[in-house]
Amino acid sequence: MSRGIRLEKTIKEIYPFKKYLNPNKVYLPLVAHKSEDITVLVKKDDYVVEGDMVAKSKGDLKVPLHAPISGKVLGFEQKYYLNNKKVKCLVIENDFVDQLDDKEYQLYDYTKEEVINKLKESGVVGLSGTAFPTYVKYDNDLKTLIVNAVESDPDTSSDAILINNKCEEILEVMDALVEIFGMNEGIIAIKKNDLLIKKIIKNYIGTYVKLKLVEVPDYYASGWERDLVWRIKKEKYKNYPIEKGIVVNGVATMYAIYETLKYHQPLIQRVVTFSGDKLEKPANVLVKNGTLVSDVIDFLGGLEEGSKMLIANGPLMGESIASYELVVSSDLTAVSIITALEECKEETCLRCGACVLACPAKLSPVLINEATDNLKQFRPQKCVGCGLCSYVCPANINLRNKVQRAKEEIA
Amino acid sequence: MSLKTFSGPYIKNSQNASQIMNHLLIALMPIIIFTIYKNGYIPYREGYYDFIMIFYPLFFILIAVLTSCLTEISFFFLRKQNIKEAFKKSYAFLPGLFVALVLPLNTPIFILIVGAFIATAIGKLIFGGFGHNIFNPALLGVLFVMAIYSVNIVESGGYLNPYEADVISGATPLATEVEGIGGYATLVEPYGRLSDFFIGTIPGSVGETSALLIILAFFYLAINRMIKWRITTTYVATVFVMTYLIGTLHGFGAWYPLFHIFSGGLLFGAVFMATDPVTSPTTPVGQLLFGLFLGVLTVVFRFLSPYPEGVLTAILTMNLLVFILDKIGFYARFNFSKSMAGFVLAWILIVGISFLVAAGFDQKDEDANFVINEVAEVDNQVIYHVSQRGFSGWIEAEVILENDEVVNFVILSQTESYWARVENANYVEKLIAADDFEEVDTISSATITTDSLKSILRNVLEDYHE
Repeated sequence: MSRGIRLEKTIKEIYPFKKYLNPNKVYLPLVAHKSEDITVLVKKDDYVVEGDMVAKSKGDLKVPLHAPISGKVLGFEQKYYLNNKKVKCLVIENDFVDQLDDKEYQLYDYTKEEVINKLKESGVVGLSGTAFPTYVKYDNDLKTLIVNAVESDPDTSSDAILINNKCEEILEVMDALVEIFGMNEGIIAIKKNDLLIKKIIKNYIGTYVKLKLVEVPDYYASGWERDLVWRIKKEKYKNYPIEKGIVVNGVATMYAIYETLKYHQPLIQRVVTFSGDKLEKPANVLVKNGTLVSDVIDFLGGLEEGSKMLIANGPLMGESIASYELVVSSDLTAVSIITALEECKEETCLRCGACVLACPAKLSPVLINEATDNLKQFRPQKCVGCGLCSYVCPANINLRNKVQRAKEEIA
Repeated sequence: MSLKTFSGPYIKNSQNASQIMNHLLIALMPIIIFTIYKNGYIPYREGYYDFIMIFYPLFFILIAVLTSCLTEISFFFLRKQNIKEAFKKSYAFLPGLFVALVLPLNTPIFILIVGAFIATAIGKLIFGGFGHNIFNPALLGVLFVMAIYSVNIVESGGYLNPYEADVISGATPLATEVEGIGGYATLVEPYGRLSDFFIGTIPGSVGETSALLIILAFFYLAINRMIKWRITTTYVATVFVMTYLIGTLHGFGAWYPLFHIFSGGLLFGAVFMATDPVTSPTTPVGQLLFGLFLGVLTVVFRFLSPYPEGVLTAILTMNLLVFILDKIGFYARFNFSKSMAGFVLAWILIVGISFLVAAGFDQKDEDANFVINEVAEVDNQVIYHVSQRGFSGWIEAEVILENDEVVNFVILSQTESYWARVENANYVEKLIAADDFEEVDTISSATITTDSLKSILRNVLEDYHE
């Protein structure tokens, strides 16, 4: 495995935690697991209650979407999704009636099947950017649970704040899952130099016999699932770690599982890091799915003057968005509003090989960039979009973009 | 509210291309200063140069740099490009700089200019400029100059600065070793000790002689991650292993592989030329194979071909294979065994060629340096037709004896580098005329050739007396 690159800026500031749970309107993006192929179950002027299922993806996985707030369905509108394209959103006007009850359930009372069913009907998906339905991972013979708390992006701290606030809950649900699924161990993986969250986890983890803390080096992309599984369990797999009986979840997903099992709360909210030099008060904000980013910015005190850029999902893997009318979705981890950058001018490739050494997926971006035909032989489909090739390129070539384009071309 | 968008990533590390070039220049600086010291200051100190000539090596380098810069500027002008912009990104000084560092000090300035021009125009610009060339531009220029003007370069003094020419009277260490033969006495002693090879006070091209400074430059570049260090290390290691095998099979000590590594521009080539990013593989395994085969080819060219520029030829040959090595390197990242064939081939060649060279080496050594091809007696004259090893090849001669006296001595063929000096001195005639040819003074700048001529007579007389 390539060990990746130590970023020049790695020191992370953990922004304060805030809640913004009652926007006037939500624009729930009708996207599930990156697909817009969805059956809508409500129509204009219907009244929906917080937690009602309002849509369901077609296909095998059938991921449900739930109403994040109670209120009247106003119809459908196009808003920006995190790939900088507009998607159809379900508009709900808030009537500010809180409908979810606070009844608690015992985590350890669940059986395997009940957990899987609960995850399926609550629509829990991977919250670290993949939006892959979580129940699919648990529907296997499992040996090891790994919770991935390795946040590589220098500006994102949504996982760190969850550990800070909800460490006990996260460890409890990990232990419950290990118990229910008869797994050998539960591992929480963090970056070596994340001292704060290391301290917090160490405070609580001692009471759980089957849970342990594992540190990984401070390299970018050391939180990549494939790398993590190799580093911790020395296992290689073809497509998914469940082939080896390993289930890997992010911290945010683990907390969503907790809320589902403990309160029967469907997946309707998440923590998003709002950062950037143009934002008056950066924060980690708990927001409802479908909240407009512009509303959250107003809530946080607005923006400074000057030309700006809005970047969704971190500076290395993310995309710049053309409008503040970006909607919060399950796969949005961070929003950054920064002073507008100049796009680097591309120079001639030196063939220095830096991109080859940097690529965690062992690709050779320089060869894909040079290739004129038969792109397939260079396997661009293996690209994970981590952005390191562009990050290291001394000639400012946007290799991530070129490899991703090659990937689309052969698909 | 409009927001700026372009495709990410939106952060970059601080390394850029001109930084790499700056590091390269910093690494080369001590080498340039050393050549001013060795080829300028030492001759001045010993009284061979005027003060101003101390800076001749620097002048030599600047002329070449200027030539390649002007060549590129005129190219941009003809292509109607924005000269300032294009020049900034083309690193035009590089081919000229390296041409100057690789050529012998006494290369006539006009030949130097031709070399730098060819390096830039043919080596780089016709491929489309920086980043598009297949061959190392500087080496292509040097190859051209060496092929066409090698005689002129030798005539004007070759690799030796004036001080060395007087003290050493030979060529560079490797040139004496044309067929890869020689013990410590012929290879190393004429130039000092092995430590002189290491420090660099031996004859050689402008920038190649100081092993120490080149090794320091390598570590500087490698630590700053500015160089494909895999190529350099495997290249040097391969040459070491092969020459060690050859030396050991011949009974030489550890000095022999070190001699090979410290001479003939191998280190300079391995650190600065083979690692030229544009013309070397980008994948780690590709770089390892590149280095291995460079080592094999260098040994092949040094021992098995009469052509003297082993490193240069090896690098230019391997430049052709970069694409294939990169492809092997690409597959090897997923499945290392895909590159096994390459490594196995390299190892077979390393061992096989070492033994082959060592075997040929012994046989030639038994042949000695003197061969009698034919002896004929006509009347009371005895005519010898003989071959004698000279400075850079075999000298064939006809010697006619009468009553214990040499009456005629005709050179039938020779390939001596400094023959002109022998001819100008009417040396052969002097040998015939002298009462005792052993008393005739050798020509100081062609010692080996004149000694060989004496050996011919000595050996013929010895045979005659028997």
